Amino acid sequence: MKPKDYRSELEPVWCTACGAFGVLKAITQALTDLEVPPEKLAMVSGIGCTSRLPGYTNAYSFNSLHGRSLPIATGLKVARPDMRTLVVGGDGDGFSIGLGHIFHAAKRNVDLTYIVLDNGVYGLTKGQASPTTETKFKQRRGLAGPDEAPLNPVMLLLASGCGFVARGHAGNLPHLRTVIREAIQYPAFSFVHVLAGCVTYQKPEYADEIYHRCDVLPENFPNDDFIAASEAARGERFSLGVIYKKSPGEPLPDGSVTDDDDMGIWRGIQVS
Amino acid sequence: MSTSKPAAHHPPGPTVRRGDPDSAVVSLVGSGGEGAALFGELILSMAARQGLYGVMVQSYGPQIRGGESASLVRVSRREVCHEGEETDLLICFRTPDMGRFRGFIRLHEGSVVTLDSKDTGDLPEWVGTAGVHTYRFPFTNIVDGHEVAGDPKNMLALGLACRYLGWDADLGRHELRQRFGNRPALLSKDLDAFDRGYGSQDMPTMPHLQGSGRNLHIETGNEAVARGAMQAGLRFFAGYPITPSSEILETLIDELPGHGGSVVQAEDEISALGMVLGASFGGVKAMTATSGPGLSLMTEMMGLSAKSEIPAVIVDCQRAGPATGMPSRTEQSDLNHALYSGHGDLPRVVMGVMDVVHARDIMHKAFSISEGYQVPVLVLSDAYIAQRHQIRDEVPPPPAQVNRSVWREDGPTRFNLDTADGVVPFRVPGTPGGQYLAAGIEQTPAGTPSADTTIHALMGEKRWRKMDAIAEHTESWFRVLGKPGATRGIIAWGSNYGLLCEWVKAHPEYRAFVPEILMPFPIKGLEEWRKGLGWTGALELAHTGQFYKYLKTLTDVEGTRSLKRSGGLPLSMVDLDRLIRQAD
Repeated sequence: MKPKDYRSELEPVWCTACGAFGVLKAITQALTDLEVPPEKLAMVSGIGCTSRLPGYTNAYSFNSLHGRSLPIATGLKVARPDMRTLVVGGDGDGFSIGLGHIFHAAKRNVDLTYIVLDNGVYGLTKGQASPTTETKFKQRRGLAGPDEAPLNPVMLLLASGCGFVARGHAGNLPHLRTVIREAIQYPAFSFVHVLAGCVTYQKPEYADEIYHRCDVLPENFPNDDFIAASEAARGERFSLGVIYKKSPGEPLPDGSVTDDDDMGIWRGIQVS
Repeated sequence: MSTSKPAAHHPPGPTVRRGDPDSAVVSLVGSGGEGAALFGELILSMAARQGLYGVMVQSYGPQIRGGESASLVRVSRREVCHEGEETDLLICFRTPDMGRFRGFIRLHEGSVVTLDSKDTGDLPEWVGTAGVHTYRFPFTNIVDGHEVAGDPKNMLALGLACRYLGWDADLGRHELRQRFGNRPALLSKDLDAFDRGYGSQDMPTMPHLQGSGRNLHIETGNEAVARGAMQAGLRFFAGYPITPSSEILETLIDELPGHGGSVVQAEDEISALGMVLGASFGGVKAMTATSGPGLSLMTEMMGLSAKSEIPAVIVDCQRAGPATGMPSRTEQSDLNHALYSGHGDLPRVVMGVMDVVHARDIMHKAFSISEGYQVPVLVLSDAYIAQRHQIRDEVPPPPAQVNRSVWREDGPTRFNLDTADGVVPFRVPGTPGGQYLAAGIEQTPAGTPSADTTIHALMGEKRWRKMDAIAEHTESWFRVLGKPGATRGIIAWGSNYGLLCEWVKAHPEYRAFVPEILMPFPIKGLEEWRKGLGWTGALELAHTGQFYKYLKTLTDVEGTRSLKRSGGLPLSMVDLDRLIRQAD
């Protein structure tokens, strides 16, 4: 399978040069690397510009309600563990209306790969501030919304006990491809924060400005060290790469990697 | 340990008459923690062992733990789904505790009341104290003027009640051994107390109620809903704890994994229904359960189920609302929400549970419709049924289910318009070539997102075509009670079925119509049933007459009276009699 084989026949309606094109491309490349059969692939999203992405993939796709992608993906994955399940969305969908679900998905640790394209703005509704809009950009663009400090999604995910936390940039495709591939391979809940610009509601140079504040983590970064990961998540600059990856532990005989009964999941015993 | 002494003024051990010759009703009033509920469960269990039928209901305050607590058990030779009108034996540990149970407990002239020998208070007059036999028993252990721990009061009461009912002491002892055999110290204490209560020679007794001898089954409404769903093929459940529905979640945690299904305790009700839609998108039969506040949160997701044509069964154990309302108390006031909630023109099916036995049956039907037509189905239970323990005959094997039609290679597009009943084969993930986009956004027949107004009109018409097909499928889904020639009629839904079973028996001039399915409504059946009726009323437990107003949208109900009361306690015969008088 080639990356284009993971695309549906629909042409994306994103703005020219939108970061979502990069995310779509990196996802299809990672799926090619992993040879996931399309009929075994599920793509779940909420609502927003990025949430259109499942419609552009050759998969069992579900473009659901604003903020609700994770519950839907959780139900699917628990009921159908054989489905490789990716969840995609934007910063408004994930970090505003859907924020509450993220911590529970991380805690529950069902094997989902959650990829959030974060351009720091509500694009679909024409340019309001999102939970990750930085104050100076908000002021510069005159965006609606209070002058609050933005959320730090990577720090939030680390704090929620997520076992795999990574970050990429939509403008660095080879790097994003490897990060997404590793996230999909991780046998439990994984999170990928993808930085991008919005070509319509951010200044054209926004994506570049953000990228200049990114540092690709060195090969020898100790990403099994929570303290090091937390340090990397702090501050004005953005670490790119796998920031935190804890050993998911030996899988249980049923293929799950944690004792689900402690996670609020009671799994069916296969009746032969 | 003190010994039982008869009150000096009371004749020893009279045989008393009861209100209903086929039944006996026993009530226990105590404080939270004194085991009123356990008392009721044990009485009911002993009845079931003898082949007697019965119902047990409880009443407690706004908080689920603590405060006054009462249980009321009816045992009967015939199958019953109502707790009975009047209590034959009332045991009350402290008369001031009676205050909270106004309307829950009523006595008759032959009732026996057992009070604590140390209690100098009187029963309130509203309970109907004229002519009752009062018997005193030393429940409390007083040392130097203070109550100290003594025999468990509920076990003393159990012995007294067993004696009153004319049941063999060994039946009670056996019951206790079954229940507490694994806790020898507790069992020994309970057996002593039971024997002490049972040994009260002066306790009045009633003629022995003879059961069939068959071992019958006890189930609560919530257990029946959970097990009915499992029998119907449920393999995924997600729920968020909420009174009075939590036992559905708990029962399924215990029992569904053994049937190959999974349960997730969700972080909220939005998530619960979201998970259900995810599982059902995966081709797995899925359900959630909640009560009013949770249903409010699920409303947007219900629209997604209807639009994306992903089956979902949603059980709502109604409680008194709005907002938090009275969480442990029953009402039928979620009807409007069930029928009309949600933005846009969204098709949904609404069904009403009548009693515990019906709860299993209705779950089979709910899944048949939901899976067969790929629509959300709301099953309305209520606190009265959910929390009630009821004795039932053996559970019959489940009827054949209508399953989801499944897409095969070269099948139609996912939202193909060319379908008589609006149903298109479902594409189950994992099927090669079946990849498609499910979505909340409007779509073309092939599944492409679309803002074309013609497409929207055609798709809306297709989604609603299912409702016509369902209406035809379910046109006989109702029950009638009473004699066909009766000239006075009552239309009701849900748990008022139990009361109406009693009402038409006591008042042969009445007959009743109770739909199993409320939307689409079995209107032809109603019209046929109405023929020849003079006086007609529509009965419900909702202040605003939601059911009556709904009927008005379906047919001409000019002249039909609205018989309504806000919820809390279920309706009694006295209540219904008053409502009918008020309506005339």
